[in-house]
Amino acid sequence: MPNAILDPTGQAERRAARVSAPLALARRPAGLQGARVGLLVNTKQNAAPFLAEVGRLLVEQHGAASVMARTKAAFALPAPEGMLKELITECDVVITGIGDCGSCSASAVTDGITLEIRGIPTAAICSDAFQASADAIASLHGAPGYRYVTTGHPVAVLTPDQVRERARQTLPEVVSLLVAGDEPSRA
Amino acid sequence: MAVRSGLDPDAAQRAIEYCYEQGWSDGLPLVPATQPLVEAFLAQTSRDPEEIIGSLEAVRRECTVYLAAVNAAMAGCRPEYFPVVLAAFDALMRERAARGGGWQSTSGPAPLIVVNGPIRAELGFNSGGGVFGPGFRPNATVARAIGLIVRNAFGVRPGVLEQATQGIPGRWSICLAENEEESPWEPLSVEAGLPAGASAVSATLIRTSEFVDNRHTQDPEQLLWDFADTISRTGALIFRDTSCGVAFCPEHAQLLAAAGYSKAAVKEWLAEHCGRTPADLRRAGKDGVSENNVRFAKAPQAATDAAPQAATDAAPQALTDAAPQAPAAEEFSRILPSPQHVPVIVTGARNAAISMVVRVFGEWSGTASPVEEPGGATAGTGADAMAAG
Repeated sequence: MPNAILDPTGQAERRAARVSAPLALARRPAGLQGARVGLLVNTKQNAAPFLAEVGRLLVEQHGAASVMARTKAAFALPAPEGMLKELITECDVVITGIGDCGSCSASAVTDGITLEIRGIPTAAICSDAFQASADAIASLHGAPGYRYVTTGHPVAVLTPDQVRERARQTLPEVVSLLVAGDEPSRA
Repeated sequence: MAVRSGLDPDAAQRAIEYCYEQGWSDGLPLVPATQPLVEAFLAQTSRDPEEIIGSLEAVRRECTVYLAAVNAAMAGCRPEYFPVVLAAFDALMRERAARGGGWQSTSGPAPLIVVNGPIRAELGFNSGGGVFGPGFRPNATVARAIGLIVRNAFGVRPGVLEQATQGIPGRWSICLAENEEESPWEPLSVEAGLPAGASAVSATLIRTSEFVDNRHTQDPEQLLWDFADTISRTGALIFRDTSCGVAFCPEHAQLLAAAGYSKAAVKEWLAEHCGRTPADLRRAGKDGVSENNVRFAKAPQAATDAAPQAATDAAPQALTDAAPQAPAAEEFSRILPSPQHVPVIVTGARNAAISMVVRVFGEWSGTASPVEEPGGATAGTGADAMAAG
């Protein structure tokens, strides 16, 4: 009987144990009237004005009550617990992004999933060049098929006017991810 | 004519194919790891196989001593290399970029692994000709082991969680032994605070390496200006500041030392003289610096306001002046904020004046990790010593 070839990933047992139940998303509000919007900004170039414009449009066009922005220091890593707690306490919905690099696309989706698990409807925004990374991290967190908003790559080089236009273009998808109505197709 | 070794190449080929099918390979054949082989690796260290030696918070994965041993065996390491693999991984896990998003980055950075001390000769690490490889098993397989750990233990695979736009040549193959015997300066590990004569590994991530071929002058300043030109190219500038190492060949290092330059003096010279003028930066669309220290193209109006025309005219002069001197501060952006941003080693053969600039991703922590001696002892006590200066 020859020796077995060893697995270098350490994942054989974990894969077997992994629960296949789909991620339970946070409960959606019927609309955004009066909603307190949180922005989780990741410091990628143009992320702050992009999210700020989305927030402004949610107030202007969808009746959101307020916008609160928080900026995480390390775009590559999930947001720190203190910042998440603050968003969970102070906000009804959160928008996070922009996932426009290898690590930050993954961490934006991670933040989105974490907030969903903790009851906050969240729209993560990634650029369309990083869907493979965003989808992979969602599967890793037990949420295959997790939906996020995409915008065209690149984002970093856009002018302020172009950023505002992009924000306008993503608005319908952001709203549809945050409000009740299409849960069955999500996650 | 076939050699009859008594071995079973057909079984070996099937085992290699099996490893490919599992998705474990970096593209080259793996040595199929078995329990007896991995036990031989684990016997080289006193560390607990279950000890976690690194984690990647963002993807919720960890690497244990045991998993490192499996990957090192698959990479083609000999068991006695394993303490060097562990020291290299320890060294990398001290790097902020490697603990953060470095492995997933679009820049596809490579570990730069530097080995110091007697372990180089004991295990046959190359510190001379062709040190960037290939051709030397310890250098090649220790670096490859790190790549396999990232791929398999951390689960960061190209095109999925790893998003390198093009990657870089030699991503998992740069393990340099320092040529301490022909270096005029103290070894990197000593600079990092470990005792002289201790075996140690330092590591950081780099975005590429670029040669400087200067067999043209005996003037130390002319030579340093040639390095400054490569270090200061605008394509490598993303943030306000950068960090850049130099792997000097013995000939360049000896020329500088003979002219009175200590390693610290070389670093100070480079920190002072590397940079670009506003006109250079504007031409490349990198004249603005955001509050996050990211460079950006200022709008034409803003650029004109910030940098008067005089600077444009003065710019080319500064770097091509026949009698080199640092340009005036107000028209020049330095890019290496301190000598610590310039790690320096000496490596390679003393047969030509060709050195390598290594483009550091983030910033070297300034530390070295001791290599455990056979039997479990580590040389010296400065395991976490920070570079003093």
